[in-house]
Amino acid sequence: MPVSPRTTLTVLFLALATVFAGACSAPGSDSPSLAVATGHRTAVVDDRNPRPIGTTPSPHLPATVRGADGVDVTVTDISRIVVADRSGTLAQTVYSLGLGNNIVGRSTAIFPAGEHIPNVTPGGHGLNAEAILALNPTVVLTDTSVGPLAVQEQIRATGVPVVFVDPERTLDTVAPGIETVAAALGVPSAGTALARRTLDEITAARESVPTDHPDLTVAFLYLRGSAIKMLGGPGSGADALLAAAGARDAGVVAGLESQFVPITSEAMIASAPDVILIMTHSLESVGGPEGLTALPGVAQTPAGKTQNIVDMDDSVLLSFGPDTGKVLAALVEALYRTDAA
Amino acid sequence: MIAGRPGGTLTASPGDPATDRGVRKAGLGRTTVVFAALGTALVILAVVSACLGQVPTSPAEVVGSLLHRVGLDIGPMPAHPAGEVTLWEVRFPRAVLAMLVGAALGCSGALLQGIFANPLAEPGVIGVSSGAAVGASAVIVLGGAFTSGWALAWAALISGLVTTALVYMLSRSDGRTEVVTVILTGVAVNAVAGGLIALFTFVADPAARDQIVFWQLGSLGGATWDTVAVVAPLTAVGIAAAIVLAPKLDLLALGENVARHLGVDVERVRQVSIVVVAVLVSAAVAFTGIIMFVGLVVPHLMRMLLGPAHRVLLCASALAGALVLLAADLGARILVDNADLPLGMITALIGGPAFFWMLRRTRAQQGGWA
Repeated sequence: MPVSPRTTLTVLFLALATVFAGACSAPGSDSPSLAVATGHRTAVVDDRNPRPIGTTPSPHLPATVRGADGVDVTVTDISRIVVADRSGTLAQTVYSLGLGNNIVGRSTAIFPAGEHIPNVTPGGHGLNAEAILALNPTVVLTDTSVGPLAVQEQIRATGVPVVFVDPERTLDTVAPGIETVAAALGVPSAGTALARRTLDEITAARESVPTDHPDLTVAFLYLRGSAIKMLGGPGSGADALLAAAGARDAGVVAGLESQFVPITSEAMIASAPDVILIMTHSLESVGGPEGLTALPGVAQTPAGKTQNIVDMDDSVLLSFGPDTGKVLAALVEALYRTDAA
Repeated sequence: MIAGRPGGTLTASPGDPATDRGVRKAGLGRTTVVFAALGTALVILAVVSACLGQVPTSPAEVVGSLLHRVGLDIGPMPAHPAGEVTLWEVRFPRAVLAMLVGAALGCSGALLQGIFANPLAEPGVIGVSSGAAVGASAVIVLGGAFTSGWALAWAALISGLVTTALVYMLSRSDGRTEVVTVILTGVAVNAVAGGLIALFTFVADPAARDQIVFWQLGSLGGATWDTVAVVAPLTAVGIAAAIVLAPKLDLLALGENVARHLGVDVERVRQVSIVVVAVLVSAAVAFTGIIMFVGLVVPHLMRMLLGPAHRVLLCASALAGALVLLAADLGARILVDNADLPLGMITALIGGPAFFWMLRRTRAQQGGWA
């Protein structure tokens, strides 16, 4: 990978900035405006259960929506809802709309209050048509992050309405995602209210970014053991969150062209992140912060040298559901707070 | 051991029906018993399979539902609200597809071992499976999230056929092929296919990556009557063609030269057989993904039971393949609540040890295959 003089300068500058900022964040520092947090910390969303927008809404049915697959689906009954998507966003959304009691089946990623609901993707991915039909659903909300598609089509062929939601999960899809689900379930006004609340919370979280915050490049890493090392790039979802938090995504800076790219140790070093953002399971898979900063390629980055690591629960970080504002606020807090443990 | 020597060692066992009349009579009795057992087991398993699944249905309800469909209002209908539709739209087509795919894989394995006179021959050797996987992964990567199952199936079917044709043409020289060359060419083509699959896996986004991985593990999860309607005629034609070829395969087992003197156009038999295998396997894997080991183990098992006469062997392998895959798929869909286990995982976990057991047994009895 050719390194332009500009990149080299940037790297040098960032390294210097980090050293400088790190020095300033020493205990007892009296210049918090230039402080940057160091060390490993976990960005925590205090209550992972979504908050219903109101009491159980009464739906206007039948409701007809056009799914992400371009098929018009008419929903006539929302008493038994199955939600299946990898990020768990759909379950969060239905619950937040006040329809949590109608969920009869869910996928693996779930908030604590939904753990008792039968899991229709016990392997994390594969759907079994009979397992879903056994729940006798009146509507299935899903996307292409779980599959195979043939099974979802099979369920549709049995006469159960199957609504496909846009599988993309990023800041821009938060409100449309909520509104699509609400429209499909015949509760558009609850959807509008929930979307507004979520956008307000996102705006509030953006505004909580300190105006004099340090300029950070953050690498979002997906790791599974030391063998699988991927850097998030444009469209990973983390890029949008980081931008909203006033930080730069190392993958975007490095010029990656897809969501997750398996990268070499040297590319990791060249991307020179000040902070590493990682999902909790990824961090565990490499043996915690010590294991992560010992990895070749990570150890040599500014973030690796200062163990500047932020981890966040897998099921919340990239779900982009109605709790996105809380997620962003937690990320901002973890990135910039200087009293980190 | 890889070489297909004249009079391939597998087929020159003492049970050769063309040479030993005493054994032949005993063999006929045994053939009847084996076919009766396979047929009965298949029917029983089909019934069991129809009754078991994640949607609870009792055997009486299944029978009742079947009878109602043919116009007889006898017996109870499924009590579960989704029971009736599940049986007819999900469970039955899946069981039928399992039997078809199993039959296609079993029969094609026996056919390939016959023309190559080689115990290692299985459909994967001539590139059908890996070729199909290349086509499927390409469509998964290029087609985006809503790629239809049909596009995937056709891509797999066509690329499986094309890859096989490639292996055959590359290994041909002076108008004829040698077994060893075909197999080694297959190794080379499989390597390239493996590289292409790795490339597609690399460039795919995470969801597509999962799809590629799971496609290669095999699943009957998407079975519908439409897929059955495509696979059934291809399987039927393939098995019928294989049976027509059987007498020539028996002569070929005496050695290529002997067969040629007896008037067999060896090259033509090989060509037709490879086409038949390609059609059978491509049809089988197009909708289900790669299913390992059925095409290798089942024919060996049948040969041990029935001897090497091909007409019997091909039919028995088809029946036993159907039985094995129906059983494996039943396991895939009921062993873990709510889950659909990868079919290839189950067939390989059972097929591997079974193959090893056969290896030991054959070695003890006949001093090995080579």
